[in-house]
Amino acid sequence: MRSSSFLPRFWQHFLSVMLIASITAIFFALRDVLDTTLVALLYLIPLGMITAFWGLGPGITSALITFLTFNFFFIEPYYMLTVHRPTDVVILVVFLIVAVVISQLVGRAQAGLAAATAREREATQLYELSTALTGLHDDHSIAQILAKQVQAVAQGEYVELNIRGTEPFAFQLPKISPPTRPPELIVPIQAARGLLGEIRLWRAEPAISSSERRLLQTFASQGALALERAWLTQAESRAKILEESDRLKSAILSSVSHELRTPLSTIKAAASSLRGKEVGWDSPARADLIGAIDDEADHLNMLVGNLLDMSRIESGALKPKREWNILSEIVGSVFARMKHLAEEHQIEVEVPENLPLVPVDYVQMEQVFTNLVSNSIKYAPAHTVIRVHARVEDESIHVQVSNQGPQVPPEHLERIFDKFYRITAADRVTGTGLGLSICKGIIEAHSGRIWAENVPDGLAFNFTLPLTWDGTRAPQLPMDTETE
Amino acid sequence: MSNAPHILVIDDEPQIQRAMRTILTEKQFRVTTASRGEEGLALAATNEPDLIILDLGLPDMDGVEVCTRLREWTQIPIIVLSVRDSERDKVAALDKGADDYLTKPFGIEELLARVRVALRHSARTQGAQSKVVKAGPLTIDLAWHIVKRGEEEVKLTGNEYKLLAYLASNHGRVLTHQSILTHVWGPADADHTEYLRVYMRQLRKKLEANPERPEYILTEPGIGYRFIADE
Repeated sequence: MRSSSFLPRFWQHFLSVMLIASITAIFFALRDVLDTTLVALLYLIPLGMITAFWGLGPGITSALITFLTFNFFFIEPYYMLTVHRPTDVVILVVFLIVAVVISQLVGRAQAGLAAATAREREATQLYELSTALTGLHDDHSIAQILAKQVQAVAQGEYVELNIRGTEPFAFQLPKISPPTRPPELIVPIQAARGLLGEIRLWRAEPAISSSERRLLQTFASQGALALERAWLTQAESRAKILEESDRLKSAILSSVSHELRTPLSTIKAAASSLRGKEVGWDSPARADLIGAIDDEADHLNMLVGNLLDMSRIESGALKPKREWNILSEIVGSVFARMKHLAEEHQIEVEVPENLPLVPVDYVQMEQVFTNLVSNSIKYAPAHTVIRVHARVEDESIHVQVSNQGPQVPPEHLERIFDKFYRITAADRVTGTGLGLSICKGIIEAHSGRIWAENVPDGLAFNFTLPLTWDGTRAPQLPMDTETE
Repeated sequence: MSNAPHILVIDDEPQIQRAMRTILTEKQFRVTTASRGEEGLALAATNEPDLIILDLGLPDMDGVEVCTRLREWTQIPIIVLSVRDSERDKVAALDKGADDYLTKPFGIEELLARVRVALRHSARTQGAQSKVVKAGPLTIDLAWHIVKRGEEEVKLTGNEYKLLAYLASNHGRVLTHQSILTHVWGPADADHTEYLRVYMRQLRKKLEANPERPEYILTEPGIGYRFIADE
């Protein structure tokens, strides 16, 4: 009975008696005016109210008290507790029946209300759980949400979630050492695929009720569904990756066999003619051939390097070794190394040396500049300008490598960073078609962004690099003093 | 011929062994080859070569380990060979006592230049140190702490001078970030590569004609720096 929470039982009985007593006093005062039958009828009002509010116990007490007072004060002979007429017995029985029937009705309504509220609460909790679990695709966050919801509902001392699978793990709430006794409740997380784990709940007081047990079982099955969904999503993306890497491999094979054969043919031809007697010892052709072997060997080396970089990016093994670096130093060393390649172009570098230090991998950033510049050299006509420009923009550095080469149709601007992507199939330009996608891989590994855009006189590659590393900017340097 | 420097090549690739033997013999060196780490260590102990060329990717043991074991008893110069993208291994080998490195594939001029520097350096550590280092218009007098560009004296701060002196007295050799930082700033600052970047830029501004395209203070990407002096 819910009413028990308002007043202790004793007080309910006491107040019932007091109420009946005061009503009796009123009736007693009006005894001469009121008919006995009317009094009996009027007594039903407080009796009904008491039963409705405080339940069967006080109801029966009131019924008996009412009967006694009625008998004592209103039935002749007055002031005697004797029952002379059978109708008096009927009145007593009526009082009792009224008390019992009303209390039953009210009790049933209250129990129904309580059950409905509990059901609504359960439904809300389940809804909250399933909403929280929606869209989660990894076991750890699912376990975390599930444990939190279980704890919110059960208010246990300790909740532990054990998840099985390829990498079993446990999630505990709160973050203290678990109780030494065995858990009060273990609910298995069961899915079609098998047992995925279990919920372990420690709560000695109050004991876990059957409805709570049922609710936690529903929680467990919701958890199982979420884990199953996550597993399927992962399986699907694994399948996609495999498919993609399969496609990549066959593309690599076809591209590579072609690309590798070109420099190899040159080397083979040059080496065999040097070995033969056709080329004179001092002829200029000899120097040419040797130069060709040297250049083509470098070219081969670059191709192999690109392939390795790409496979590293693909497998997620490209981890930048970040250090605070000076961008202009990196750009300078790239152009120093590319001097002979960029002879036919005019290079303009506008990288202010007072730019803040950038947290980047020196070697990888060299690779990015090398690839972007060599791409520009390949496509832009001779004697045009290739410009490298850098500036600070908010919390990042913005770099632009632009050339006066042919523009790229807008619909291709994004796709030129794809692997093996060429705008035209029959292309005079050689290469693996990996240079730009390597740039993209490296820049993204540095949490930057890279894109291409058409500029009025050509094409520009842009990228950004964050100026912060783990949330901090370049450190201040210790003071240094001038010597004599 | 017996005075010719003796080079021990430890590399498991027969083609590389063959090429090294041909080229180095042509250049009047005596060459011994080993294809495994243990064999190389044994040959180094019995033959006492003047220089060791060591491939870091050996089948039986880690090249860095070979370096460490050699350095337990000898200061024979070691040049390590490795493939691109293994900066970590190169730095590890250099910090374990290797003198220089070459990235495969390399040109023969590069190899010979490294060999010359390594041999000269080992001769220098045994004999008297040269007190004046010249590089183009630069003159660095290590005894008197004077740096001149042409006839003009260059004003350097304390750390700048310490840095330059360390580079110049090891000219031709690669010096790792860690070794420079430890030498100039002390072991506590060995991770502060940003000091190096900033001080190198200042040094280049004071010493190089074009600080963006340095001729004397060269960056070795991912490894360290190298000072190029006149031969």
